[in-house]
Amino acid sequence: MLSEGALTGLKVVEFTDQVAGSFCARLLGDAGADVVKVEPLNGDRYRRNGPYPGGVPDPELSGLFLYLNSNKRGVTLDIESSKNRSAFLDLTSEADFLVVGQESGEVERLGLRRELLAAAHPELIVTSITPFGLIGPNSSYLGDELIAISAGGMAYATPGIPDKVGDPHLEPPLRSNTHMAGYLAGVQGAVASVAALLSRTIQGTGCEIDLSMQEAVAAVMPYELAHASYDEAKPRKPKVFGVMPNAYLPCQDGYVVVMAVMEAHWRNLMALADNPDWAELEVFSSGVERARNWDALEPLLLEWTMAHTGAEIAQLAQDKGIPCFPAYTVGQMVDSAHVTERNFMIDMEATGGQRFKLPGYPVRLEKTPWQLFRPAPKLGEHTAEVLDEWLGYSPEQILALGAVSA
Amino acid sequence: MSTLPLKGIRIADFGQIIAVPYTAQMLAWLGAEVVLIETEQRLTTRIWPPFAEAEPGVNRSGGFNLVNTSKMSCTLNLRDPEGVDLAKQIIAVSDVVMENYSSGTMDRMGLGYDDVRPLRPDVVYLSLGAFGRTGPMKDLVGFHSVINLFSGLASVTGHKGSHPRIMGGLFPDAFSGCYCILAMLEALYHRANTGEGQHIEVAMTEVLATLLPEAVMEYTLDGTEPERVGNRHQYKVPHNVFRCQGQEKWVAISVESDAQFQALAQVAGIPGWADDHRFANAEARLKHQDELEPLIQEWTMGLQVEDVVQILQLSGVPAGPVLDSAQVLADPHMIDRGFVQSPNHREVGQRPMGTFSWNVDGDRPGVPMTAPLLGEHNRKVVQELLQVPDDEFERLLANGVIS
Repeated sequence: MLSEGALTGLKVVEFTDQVAGSFCARLLGDAGADVVKVEPLNGDRYRRNGPYPGGVPDPELSGLFLYLNSNKRGVTLDIESSKNRSAFLDLTSEADFLVVGQESGEVERLGLRRELLAAAHPELIVTSITPFGLIGPNSSYLGDELIAISAGGMAYATPGIPDKVGDPHLEPPLRSNTHMAGYLAGVQGAVASVAALLSRTIQGTGCEIDLSMQEAVAAVMPYELAHASYDEAKPRKPKVFGVMPNAYLPCQDGYVVVMAVMEAHWRNLMALADNPDWAELEVFSSGVERARNWDALEPLLLEWTMAHTGAEIAQLAQDKGIPCFPAYTVGQMVDSAHVTERNFMIDMEATGGQRFKLPGYPVRLEKTPWQLFRPAPKLGEHTAEVLDEWLGYSPEQILALGAVSA
Repeated sequence: MSTLPLKGIRIADFGQIIAVPYTAQMLAWLGAEVVLIETEQRLTTRIWPPFAEAEPGVNRSGGFNLVNTSKMSCTLNLRDPEGVDLAKQIIAVSDVVMENYSSGTMDRMGLGYDDVRPLRPDVVYLSLGAFGRTGPMKDLVGFHSVINLFSGLASVTGHKGSHPRIMGGLFPDAFSGCYCILAMLEALYHRANTGEGQHIEVAMTEVLATLLPEAVMEYTLDGTEPERVGNRHQYKVPHNVFRCQGQEKWVAISVESDAQFQALAQVAGIPGWADDHRFANAEARLKHQDELEPLIQEWTMGLQVEDVVQILQLSGVPAGPVLDSAQVLADPHMIDRGFVQSPNHREVGQRPMGTFSWNVDGDRPGVPMTAPLLGEHNRKVVQELLQVPDDEFERLLANGVIS
């Protein structure tokens, strides 16, 4: 029996062609809201993105789509045709939230600004997620993941400490091969939405949230910005990191972070390395000295890391309370006893019977726990159901929309 | 301007370093009254660089001052039972408790969820840990690098054929903080509707693992591990950062459609693009990106970053500057939108910082106020809020319970 979520009873309409808007709406559904995803007649773009079980493209089995759209119902409407658009507006007039996520020019062109939608429905909260926002000198710029990660400062900062670039002039800034900016903006969009809901309980009216993906990236780097604000932007190849060792080093089977900035950690680390003679040298006698003489220390530590696997180093070090850790593969993470025991991954089953997992919800709320209320919708699965339930449309009215197969 | 939604909510903030302090700061911007409980014997960011004018001082650290704006500071010695008792009194008049000490620390101090519920039955109590509060790795020391490495994120970050890399910006803390804020707002909404508080637990490693649905799906279907692809994309080509004129200047260009590619090739003067079969469509470009990227870089190398962005955006091609953190704070667009704010600080003056990533009806909500000096609000918190009489306050001060 599914219990209620914190947002049970609230209604959300989503119209977006980006990860950010989809994920924002999913998070509201995760908290129990009734989320209706409005897709164009040919379906959301991420139905065509994969990965697919067995590698065979199938719009109902795209992994990214399934992940972004659980806890939603699905409706197909061509909001650019006048008869479908009125159904879209009717849905919006029933909703507490409208989540939109497009490039800003599309938001304007499709008439998705709150001033056009909320005249008769002042309670409506419109959450709009765009690459550079709806206002400001660059608001009309086109953008995506790569552009947001770059213009938000994250690409320049990557690799980050204790990793560093070899040659800062030749080695390009880097993103991760994920939809990180989309998730960052999606979570912050959900925060802004629920904050607006709390405001609405006080003032009675909704509002328009204008969230910029560029800013959603910059907003999660407060320490990086603090460096620029109080000193200068962190160089991509810093000389030393204050006290050492705090280094990212190769080991026998991969890479490992070796961190022993506290004196106790350093002594424990040297004990693991069988207390070599050089450990007693004056030039390595404190964290600051070890930073100053890092060029001499690094090859000595490398001898130790290269004699062990990442797993060995992690085990040895963590037993002594030293924060060392190897770069895990995705498989090592998924199969780890920790992830398994915390029951973090969700078991999925494709229609063909293939079993796989997807990441679960990273927050555990004791009284309003996350639940998989429903899997992602098939294309148009709930068009008739929602138009009837929300709007009382008759079967004839629904058929006349031409957005649902008889 | 929208009403600040958390007016009347009080938060006891036991946050350490970035993650929970960042969370509580955002809740303060939304109107909550945040009491930051600090212990002078175990300061962190206050005594770490960067310092204003490189001059160390507990009130001079950017790392502290820019994640603790709009709060009150109360310094209690939590190693002294009387200090813990004062902390309990603060909790008793608070709606929310938040902490990210290492697992078990709050319990050992007598400030765990079960300890404080009798004092405040409807408390919303949030605990955040690198690996969470349960599971075999709950006690592991986890800095941002460890979280990057464990979660698998590093394994999908890196240049083609090269090793896993660590993402920059110490972002696991603040990203986890975003989930904490969301959970907190939901829990407060639930409490407003039902009167019921609750416990919230967050693991930073799990927050990062949410970035990898495709990789987790592929691994669990057939054991496939992702390849590292640098800045490239599964179907957009070109999709990379390119060098521009100057030192360490880069521009990001991302092309999704043939029309965008034609616009790019035209302004970049890529020879023969119109009839070059290598670049004729997305599929061909995907195959020939090793040849295409140097042609684009040849063009960008002769231009300033801003010029490339302007030219391409005017031609309908997605492009953006690769900004460093100083450029983020100086960006005219983000300044105009209100993202960059410069609260005044009594010791170090005005310093720019980032705020929320959104406007509400055209205004930036919750403009940050100054960060507190160490122990600045001891009297306000202990005497006014807890109603501790003068002579008792002086005794606690003399005994080092309050510092």
